[in-house]
Amino acid sequence: MSTLDVGGYSPREKGVAGLLGALAALLLLAVITGFLAPAYLLYLVGLSAMYMLLSMGLNVQWGYGGMINFSVAAFFGLGAYGTALLTASGSPISGGVSPIVALFGGLGLAAVLAVIIGYPTLKLRDDYLAIASLGLAEVVRIFILNESQWTAGSAGLTGIPLFFSDWPVLGDLTYPYVFNVGGTSLFYMSQSVVTSALNVVLVTVIVAAVYLFLRRIHQSPWGRVLRTIRTDEDLAETLGKNTFAFKMQAFVIGSLIMALAGVFYSHLVLFVSPQDLQPITTFYVWVAVILGGTGSDRGAMLGGFTIVAIQQGTRFMTDTGALPIGAAPLRLMLVGLLIIFIVRLRPEGILPPERELIWPDSLGGGRNE
Amino acid sequence: MSEQSLVSDGPILGKEDPVLRAEGLEKRFGGLVATDDASIEVERGTITGLIGPNGAGKSTLFNLVSGFYEPDAGSVAVNGVDVTGKKPHQIADQGMIRTFQTPRKPEGMTVREALLVGPHNQTGESIIPLFTSPDTVEQEERRSLEQAQQMLERFEIGDLATQPATDLSGGQMKLVELARGMMAEPDLLLLDEPVAGVNPVLADKLAGFIEELNEEGITFLIIEHDMNFIMRLADPIIVLNQGSVLVEGPPEAVRSDERVIDAYLGGPSE
Ligand SMILES: Nc1ncnc2c1ncn2[C@@H]1O[C@H](COP(=O)(O)OP(=O)(O)OP(=O)(O)O)[C@@H](O)[C@H]1O
Ligand SMILES: [Mg+2]
Repeated sequence: MSTLDVGGYSPREKGVAGLLGALAALLLLAVITGFLAPAYLLYLVGLSAMYMLLSMGLNVQWGYGGMINFSVAAFFGLGAYGTALLTASGSPISGGVSPIVALFGGLGLAAVLAVIIGYPTLKLRDDYLAIASLGLAEVVRIFILNESQWTAGSAGLTGIPLFFSDWPVLGDLTYPYVFNVGGTSLFYMSQSVVTSALNVVLVTVIVAAVYLFLRRIHQSPWGRVLRTIRTDEDLAETLGKNTFAFKMQAFVIGSLIMALAGVFYSHLVLFVSPQDLQPITTFYVWVAVILGGTGSDRGAMLGGFTIVAIQQGTRFMTDTGALPIGAAPLRLMLVGLLIIFIVRLRPEGILPPERELIWPDSLGGGRNE
Repeated sequence: MSEQSLVSDGPILGKEDPVLRAEGLEKRFGGLVATDDASIEVERGTITGLIGPNGAGKSTLFNLVSGFYEPDAGSVAVNGVDVTGKKPHQIADQGMIRTFQTPRKPEGMTVREALLVGPHNQTGESIIPLFTSPDTVEQEERRSLEQAQQMLERFEIGDLATQPATDLSGGQMKLVELARGMMAEPDLLLLDEPVAGVNPVLADKLAGFIEELNEEGITFLIIEHDMNFIMRLADPIIVLNQGSVLVEGPPEAVRSDERVIDAYLGGPSE
């Protein structure tokens, strides 16, 4: 995650890389010693990747352009429900659509909502988006809860296929899957491990593609205008920039990335319900972005990962029965402590943007600072 | 007596080739009339001064012509194009760039990054070309970087290029603002109190730069309270009082005009 910038690495970056390396080694050890089921580890990786996507999406809106979006859960939920309604066998509307096609259904829903909420509020000064989006997530959740003729309501949608279910080869694997080399079977993997591994591959590709896409637009003149808007919208206007158009673009892009996380979530967990749209998700994603370092794509990923580590770590700690406190209160307490820690010690986050964001290669003979 | 006749009562209108023409502008804030039937013309190639006592409505006039305030009445044209009611960015696109009375400094950027925001209609400001024609983006970016460096060197702040844009002294900030405005290649630059809070040595330098740029064809409209500065640079000078143009004329004549002195000393009896 830290091999991404040319030039030297700051001690801070080295520290983070070291910590992540140690954590990876620890998890691997846990799997080898049988302490952690491989399928569960892979599931955790998928979940972290999902939070990374959500954080990167919010970072485009808040970190690049200074737009306050309190309905991360709604865009996530529309992605999840969009694909679920189209593909799930339990869908009251359609069902049976190929996940690859349904993906665009989820994204489309999120884009439409982004335009509907963005158009009136982004014309005005920034606070209006915050106010409007505050209620939006709940409106979407309650809509899904109540309109059960379309959404199956509180029962949720079951029978969502795996993302690869109708692909050639990947869709027709038989389990346990046996690895054969030259006629001799080497080892086999259970269905859950294979599915989880495929999900990890899928989400890794998505996260990498999103990251590379964002890195390019962030380092571009487009990103520069947004960063100007973030501190001073008037200044951008006086320099001839159509700030409304720039904000709208960033808002839609961010929302699409959140929806992508939702689509992936549906095909990871294979069940969605209005429960998945709770406002707490929005809260966690905000903590992730601020913790990671507002305005930094890498920071957003790190923040997303940290949130999942806390969520799952607390579950694990209480499962072992070592603590006299439930997982949920422990989790909230840890997040609370984390927030105090950020505000007191590192208000700029763990990996804030530290370098100039200038289009690569245009500085001529390498960078010299 | 000859001096008195040089000063026109109210604005001088009907100029040959005005870059900016504002007619009958009016702006109220509740009961307060900040701009009251103000008309001005800024002739191409001039450095036009805009002076007047505190609260005369100078900054409000800037906000009106640059599209930040919507006028209650009146019209604005830039380079002959009517821009009344247009958005600030559309007006900037017509070739008129303004600065603010309190300097604006983008956070989290180096000085040169801040300058790179200046050029209009960069290819890389649209998302699709970033992926379909990265070479064009790179070339433009290279050119802008060179231009930014030249601009900074011209204003003798080349060494600030990679400093954070927020870590500057008041005077440096004004120079950076001027440089950034120039990156947009304007026909007309509106400067709101460019030497307020700037030490006299730097103010002198700034005046020199403005003169140079003016000789290269940039038109200026400058609000300034520093009389030495504005009298040295500007001709003509427009005096605003209580929201409308009191007089307009050459600096020496305006300076000794009784109406102007009265306005500064506490306003005419009304
Ligand atoms: N946004 C606003 N809302 C209410 N009143 C305003 C607003 N902007 C300006 N005014 C009022 O309009 C009048 C003119 O203000 P303006 O800032 O244009 O004066 P100025 O000539 O620039 O003064 P200074 O030399 O002190 O900068 C003042 O009385 C000011 O209080
Ligand atoms: Mg003013």
